[in-house]
Amino acid sequence: MQHHCKKIFFVYFVLCGLFAQIKLTVNAIPKRAEVLLDGKSIGKTPINKGMITTGEHKFEINKDGFAPLTYDLIVNPSEAVHFDFFLNPIYKVKFKTDEKGLIFELNGEHRWDDDLIRLKLEAGDHMLRVFKLGNIIDEQTILVDEPKTFRYFLKKPISEE
Amino acid sequence: MLKRPIYVFFLLLAGGLMIASISGCAMFKGPEYSEIIYNHRQPLISVTYEYGEIEIHLPLKYPGARPNNLKFHVSSRGDTSRKMISVFQEASDQFIVYLPQGVLDTDSESNLIKIFPQDPDFIPVNVYFKGIQFGKVTLEPASIVMIPLVVDGSIYLNKNDSSLAGVEVSLQNYNNIITKSKTDNTGYFTLTIPGKYKHAKYVQLVAGANMIFKPIKRKLDFSQSYDLTVNVGLGPSMSLDDPLYLTNKSNVHFRDKPDIGSKTLFLLENGEIISVQRVTPGEYYGSIEVDVGKGKNVLLEGWVYRNDLDLLQFDDLFKKDVKDATSL
Repeated sequence: MQHHCKKIFFVYFVLCGLFAQIKLTVNAIPKRAEVLLDGKSIGKTPINKGMITTGEHKFEINKDGFAPLTYDLIVNPSEAVHFDFFLNPIYKVKFKTDEKGLIFELNGEHRWDDDLIRLKLEAGDHMLRVFKLGNIIDEQTILVDEPKTFRYFLKKPISEE
Repeated sequence: MLKRPIYVFFLLLAGGLMIASISGCAMFKGPEYSEIIYNHRQPLISVTYEYGEIEIHLPLKYPGARPNNLKFHVSSRGDTSRKMISVFQEASDQFIVYLPQGVLDTDSESNLIKIFPQDPDFIPVNVYFKGIQFGKVTLEPASIVMIPLVVDGSIYLNKNDSSLAGVEVSLQNYNNIITKSKTDNTGYFTLTIPGKYKHAKYVQLVAGANMIFKPIKRKLDFSQSYDLTVNVGLGPSMSLDDPLYLTNKSNVHFRDKPDIGSKTLFLLENGEIISVQRVTPGEYYGSIEVDVGKGKNVLLEGWVYRNDLDLLQFDDLFKKDVKDATSL
């Protein structure tokens, strides 16, 4: 019986050692972003009294109007770990052109041929390619840092209104 | 009758304006792309770890003397060549050290605190322990002891140099027994006492307390060594001729003449040996050996009452009562 109890205590302490709890705080800009840890929601930021174990984990941060963020990491043994996530905003952008017969492509996957279109773009640089009759006729990088309207003229740097 | 057509007319007009405005806005704004377009920009993430401290408490005990200072070396994961920290402090009752988180082996007792007493008479102590990630840990107390003192040697019979088995030997401080033992079948003995007696002035080896002879006492001096070898001969020496008698009590008068009122040369203890040369009705005349130091003995002659002596029997050299009490 005593031997059995010793075994149970041994297993308990081994498990405690393996899955030692570490204090977790999560902040995000902007606030009130939903945090999923290993697929399970642990609340909205700021999270001040969370706990996490050492080892591999996956964070997913979601908030309307911002690009979702996924972050994989291995948590080291420590007393506490603090995360600060800076979410990338999504801006509403208009794209206009007076040119005819052009096909536009962003980031190698999103295509349209309208002369006026409304886009939702993650902040930052995007690669614009312009096709005419199946050939690339122009290639530019556009920077999205606020809601704006882009006006495209053939083979000229894209302009902002 | 007129009111109803006017009412319907205004309704149709309002609906038409609404449709026109909606379609007009859509025309003005243009169509909306169906998906959000991401550029998969590397997100900005800050991860900050907060590491705790390891606080180690090591209680220290000093069963005997206490050195002035102690030096501690702390190493982990069995790597004694690279100590993490070295601490020099007074010989207090506790050693406390702080280490960064995660430096100790938490799986096995491979972490080491090595204690070096700053006194050559003390033994260095190794304390192996299992670590923790962070927090406080109190280890089992460590004892700081002096190097033990060891006395060994042989006990033999002076008469023929034969080894004596079962002879009681003890180490005494003044007359207090520190430890005692008995000789083995080859007459060999070994005694170990705590190092705190190294500088004691009256430590002595007493051999033969369970023998019929007077026990032999040898003063010991550990100032030059922690190990001493002392060989002790018991009983009458070869220079004492038969017949041999033993005093059967203490304070036996050994006198220069047989006459009443003659001068007492010595008061003999129980178990003193006398080589008898002449016999009178009431007294024996004979010789005793007197130790004059440096291993030299001289023979002195005198008179003893017959009642104070018993004939020495070499077939049983042990005291009857002691032998019975300590027989194996």
